[in-house]
Amino acid sequence: MKMKKLMALLLAAVMVLAMLAGCSSSGGNETKAPESNPPASQPGTEESKAPEGGDKKYEGVELTMWSMWSSGEPQANVIEEAKAAFEAETGAKINIEFKGRDVNKVLAASLEAQDNIDIIEDDYKRIGTVYNKFTYDLTDMAKAVNYDSFSYKCLNDQSVEWAGYLNAIAEQPQVGGIFYDKDAFTKAGITAEPKTWAEFLDVCQKLKDAGVAPIAQDSAYCDFAFYHQLVRHLGEAKIEELTMNGGWSGTAAEKAADEIIDLINKGYFVDGAPDEFPSSENKIGFGQAAMIVCANYVTAEVNNNTQTQVNWGLFNYPAVDGGADNASAYAGANSLAITSYSKNPQAAFDFIIFLTTGEWDQKMADTAAQIPADSRNTAPAVLNGTVETLLAADKPMTWCAGISANPDVKDTIKSMCTELFEGKYATGADFCAALDALYK
Amino acid sequence: MRKNKAMIFWFSLPAVLSLLIMFVYPVCRTVLMSFFRVESVTATVADWSFYGLGNYLKIFKSASFMTSMRNMLLIWFVGGIITLALAMLMAVVVTSGIRGKKFFRAVIYLPNIISAVALATMWIQYIFNYDYGMLNNIVQFFGGEKVKWLGTDLKFWSMTGSFIFGSVGYYMLIYISGIEGIPQDLYEAATIDGAGKVAQFTRITLPLLKGVIKTSITFWSINTTTFFLWTKMFSPIDTESSTIVPVIYLYDMVFGGKGITQRDAGAGAAVGVVLTLIIIAVYLVTEKLFKGNDLEY
Repeated sequence: MKMKKLMALLLAAVMVLAMLAGCSSSGGNETKAPESNPPASQPGTEESKAPEGGDKKYEGVELTMWSMWSSGEPQANVIEEAKAAFEAETGAKINIEFKGRDVNKVLAASLEAQDNIDIIEDDYKRIGTVYNKFTYDLTDMAKAVNYDSFSYKCLNDQSVEWAGYLNAIAEQPQVGGIFYDKDAFTKAGITAEPKTWAEFLDVCQKLKDAGVAPIAQDSAYCDFAFYHQLVRHLGEAKIEELTMNGGWSGTAAEKAADEIIDLINKGYFVDGAPDEFPSSENKIGFGQAAMIVCANYVTAEVNNNTQTQVNWGLFNYPAVDGGADNASAYAGANSLAITSYSKNPQAAFDFIIFLTTGEWDQKMADTAAQIPADSRNTAPAVLNGTVETLLAADKPMTWCAGISANPDVKDTIKSMCTELFEGKYATGADFCAALDALYK
Repeated sequence: MRKNKAMIFWFSLPAVLSLLIMFVYPVCRTVLMSFFRVESVTATVADWSFYGLGNYLKIFKSASFMTSMRNMLLIWFVGGIITLALAMLMAVVVTSGIRGKKFFRAVIYLPNIISAVALATMWIQYIFNYDYGMLNNIVQFFGGEKVKWLGTDLKFWSMTGSFIFGSVGYYMLIYISGIEGIPQDLYEAATIDGAGKVAQFTRITLPLLKGVIKTSITFWSINTTTFFLWTKMFSPIDTESSTIVPVIYLYDMVFGGKGITQRDAGAGAAVGVVLTLIIIAVYLVTEKLFKGNDLEY
């Protein structure tokens, strides 16, 4: 009986211990974090570990990176290769955990718990606004490598505006606008990219006359497309104000909606638009449509989906008469940042620069068909003109932040944008009245 | 006896501790959190500020949340009637002694062993597709005009239809096991007494399946309140009002959406509590409605 009791006790103890071990946060890799998390302002050189016996710069240094890619994706493969090259060159050891796109669902909690992470990878807006309490100030380290000279000012400025200091290094910049099939333009006898709304309508008519549907539109991006039209007429700040409080009727939003309705009435959208993603955008690859409002990844998507090589071009969304913001273009980035409690910030920064410049950045751009983070590198052919557009951009347009500002109505507004492209509203005034009805 | 009690205590301790730590604690924390302003789901209690019923008022005033509740109730009610009725019909047919019973049972259950992601992709890309989808091919074959199955008007019903297709087999199996438990003598006696198949179904099968029906309604309620993946598949880039359900609203509130960085774990917790209360209410109502079902045969 004694034996039985002993066994029962042991069994219970083992199970409880196993359970508690499973619940512990980060095992033996915990980092001792500062009590508070103000952004560090000093360059991290002093904090980086000194070489331990080896003659390489970061011998004995271990870094952990949480990536937003999944293992096996082209981006992940390039990161793995760059990591191996950096390790061979510096002696550092980098553990990369490929968490996939949903890394943003766990990152905030992990940073709050100060898990063992040195480098994070995510959308630069989230890094600037959600994780900024836990990110390292990169200003001085960036200055030391003259980062401004080969990066995109608009992205850096935006990062500083959000976080109060430079806390992200762009890895995969994005740019939006109207992507088009150059061959379709040539076929329609179009020689210049449209700069104004009148010129854009003229281009649409020429394409239609040449037998190519001018515009492809997937329902998933209707809000993004209409947002461009709204931004041109109202500017982002005014859109946000209207989204929060209503009062759309009587504003230039009516004219913006009327212009979209005009495109529908003139038959400028490809058959089936707005279609279910990615059906409509694929029609550019099939030669049935010529233009689409989207971000740069649409080029690789269409080429992959349709197994064609579209001769892509890009122009900024056309200016409208009396517009409030006729110049801005969507720009964003997947970026890298260093945790404020990293023990080796300089080594982490060096790896980030190693990955986002020169050979490895070019490889990333070529392999994943992305805009190079290093502006001295060359964009792949499908993204011709994107580096120049980003370099010229002053202040980037956000991804629909204005019409997404009010969480209580954002989903309904998104669906209403799709309805607008479906031709459910006879006039812009009807559309704006329906928007205002959401606030009653 | 004393020794036995000690044994029971020690053996049950790990399970009790597991339950307390992994189930009771999160539930209590979530309920508590729903009365506080909390930005991040992992924020320490020191960072919480008391908000009373503020989170509940906030979600019930939110047009998005109310739309999501409406969508969920439609899936539960309309989808529930169709799914459970179809499952019952198929279970009765399959157990009626038709040839190839095993084959039909396997075919009807097949969608349940296919990943829901693959199933949704099949519906979206091959059945509802505007240009080459199966449904529009059929419509055109009969001389009709192509329909936008995934337009704002029909998207919700297309999604619900796909979900029903993937769910019928599961409930059919539950009903089959219930029907097979009913003694054949009852049917034989009824046949001798001159009862037809319909009368046998309404007078024998249905009354004796009360308990199974109650269970299936509870399961269906849980399935619809945790409806998530189909919405994500039918709104791949960002949440839309035609497909939003409360769990998606909760997810967006707690983690933010595309281009959205605001988070409100307190409101998310309130949504979780409301959904739990709904499931409890449905359970209690079905218990009341199907009272006295403990038949022995």
